[in-house]
Amino acid sequence: MKMALQRRHSGKDRKSPGAARSALRFNQGDHPFWWLCPVTIVLAVFYVYPVLEVLRTSFTDATLLDASYRYTLGSYRSILLDPALLQILEATFVFVAGSVIGQTTLGLLISLALQAGLKRRLFGVRAVRVTVLATWVVPGVASAITWQLLLSEADFGFFNAMLKFASLPPVPWLSAPWMAIWSATVANIWYGTALSVILLYAGLQTISPTLYEAAAVDGATAIQTFWHITLPGLRPTLLITVIIVSVLSLNTFEIVMPLTGGGPGRSTEVLALAAYNMVFYDFNLAQGSVLAVLMLLINLAVATTFWLLFRGSR
Amino acid sequence: MKFNRTLLLLVILSIGCLQPTGSAWAQDLVAPDRIGRSDAPKSFTFRVLTAHSNNNAQPKFAAGMAELYEKYARNHPDWRVRIQLMSLQIPQEHARLLEQARNGTAPDCTSMDSFAVPLFIHQGLLKPIEQYFTKEEVEELFAFVRPIVSDTEGHIYAWWWTTDLRLLFRNTAHVPDPPDTWQRTKEAALAAKRTTPGLDGLLFNGGRNETTMVDFLPNFWAQGGKLVDEKGTPVFGKEPNRAYLLNAIAYYQDLIKSGAAPARVASITDYSDLTASAIAGSTAMMISGDWVIGQMQAAMTPDAFAKWEISMLPGPTAEQRSTASGGWTFVSFSKDPEKVKACMDLVREVYMGPAVEVLQLLPTRQSEFDSMPMFRSEIYQRIKQYLKKSQARPGFPIYTAISNRLQIAISSTLSGSHTAEAAVDEAMEQVAKVVPKP
Repeated sequence: MKMALQRRHSGKDRKSPGAARSALRFNQGDHPFWWLCPVTIVLAVFYVYPVLEVLRTSFTDATLLDASYRYTLGSYRSILLDPALLQILEATFVFVAGSVIGQTTLGLLISLALQAGLKRRLFGVRAVRVTVLATWVVPGVASAITWQLLLSEADFGFFNAMLKFASLPPVPWLSAPWMAIWSATVANIWYGTALSVILLYAGLQTISPTLYEAAAVDGATAIQTFWHITLPGLRPTLLITVIIVSVLSLNTFEIVMPLTGGGPGRSTEVLALAAYNMVFYDFNLAQGSVLAVLMLLINLAVATTFWLLFRGSR
Repeated sequence: MKFNRTLLLLVILSIGCLQPTGSAWAQDLVAPDRIGRSDAPKSFTFRVLTAHSNNNAQPKFAAGMAELYEKYARNHPDWRVRIQLMSLQIPQEHARLLEQARNGTAPDCTSMDSFAVPLFIHQGLLKPIEQYFTKEEVEELFAFVRPIVSDTEGHIYAWWWTTDLRLLFRNTAHVPDPPDTWQRTKEAALAAKRTTPGLDGLLFNGGRNETTMVDFLPNFWAQGGKLVDEKGTPVFGKEPNRAYLLNAIAYYQDLIKSGAAPARVASITDYSDLTASAIAGSTAMMISGDWVIGQMQAAMTPDAFAKWEISMLPGPTAEQRSTASGGWTFVSFSKDPEKVKACMDLVREVYMGPAVEVLQLLPTRQSEFDSMPMFRSEIYQRIKQYLKKSQARPGFPIYTAISNRLQIAISSTLSGSHTAEAAVDEAMEQVAKVVPKP
């Protein structure tokens, strides 16, 4: 085998047909351009071009009501000076931060519990795993409607019915502005936790069991084991999880739209929903694009921040 | 015995062979994505709301529509209608239609929400269609219809074939007499709550959704309020309209503060929430649409349903009352006169009358209430009278932006996060920013 490889690289027998094929393979490996070409085209057409188009539109005054437009900074000025932007960013921050903390923490706890359950061969662990993952299969809109029924303040609302059963007063889950954003966040945590479980559970499998065995021999407690073995071993997966959850939460509106529609008032109007409203209700393509650019910048900033934080603590 | 069995088998087989002949013919003429024979020489595209087609989720309605389509197909053997289904994501669907119409790729014949028609007329994307309808048919339309589907010269660009109506629903066991004013409505709701603890007095949509606007606007219109002037410029923030708007919001606020309506109305955006409460018997009154009558009848016992009555929405005074109507139209984007005619033939033969009866929707022409058996009942005759006083949302493209901002204003006021004055002024400022370029 080693000799064959050496022969291929030596180039002594290039004239034979077999050697020519080998040379072609060699050349392909040496010039990755052709291999990367299809994926580059797909990325350019379906990802880079739309982003550039959104960026270009954001510097215009384009609307759906008028085919003509001109280049201006007016759309940025209008959005950035709008007092409503602060409310939108505030709602977005609570929603995204709550989702990232909630989904990552819950995902970690569930994946640790699953791993411990499997290790101890507990009955029903596989069923729990399937159940958790099933939430990922449910479409976002369907889960929002389910949560709407759970959080409904009518008599048939599940949570308030439980509170009533316990002789406790009802909670304005969706009608009070201060509560509605948390209700939407909890619904998003429920919906997104499965993805965290998938990623973190996979990450746990990459940690060598010998490390845990050594820790057990040394008499480490569960907390010490978690702190000094599990957490450092999971760091790369945690970084990916946190970035993915941040990006998905920032871009989602499929939960908020059916659940609250952004209300009461603007209390649950996250950036993605604001961009949707700007385009489809105000027909303002340019200002909708400005909000999309803002989302892109926040996404990049969040991803970079987490990357720097995790890299620094390595 | 053996002979009898063979005979029986032959009879069954004969029935089996004969039966598909008829249904195959029907199936051949109507399919989920087609009306007419698949090999018909001419065709046009037809985008329609799923519920208004043979793809309706309820088998009864789907079969009824298929039957009407089949009749059309028999009358027009040269045409193949290629059905495209329209989703319930109405804003996206209309934004897509707008782009397609500009690019010349819009369907030849399509459903359009009535309040979106003015947008397409103002954009110059539609052509007049009055030549396909008689003068009498046009004149029979309810008063609120023509201003929305016409331009300033009176040309008609869309055929508005079905409408709806906002009504006050009340359980007569709790509220025997229909309240005609805002004050009497509040008193009736509070009285019902006093006699039946745990009961909601009055429910309505108050969250962020178009449903809230349609329910709310009659309170504004009843005082003479106008959202836009004749040119389509927003005027709801100018006096006296601002005062009318504040009065209407104050009415909603008073209902919540007094306990006549629960605080949760600030989060209600769907009529099904209200219908569920009515069916469960947990509300004395609700503001909802005519289509709920059929839903309630289907879900309630006859005795329970008999207790429910409808009436005109209350106003600030018994004389100042209004209500709101929406509905669906058909338009044609085709530049081929033959296709436009084929589209309008489909509208005339299927939707202008027969489909409203099959789908149990309200017609837009007064004569249809007398000509169709379903609408001759006392309740529909009353609805016909209310429709004469009904109003439609303004026929200007800026309406969607006004609606969005006023939904925020109403919702934030009802939830207590803003005062009504601040919320309305903010809405006016926001709408001023999105007024179309001159």
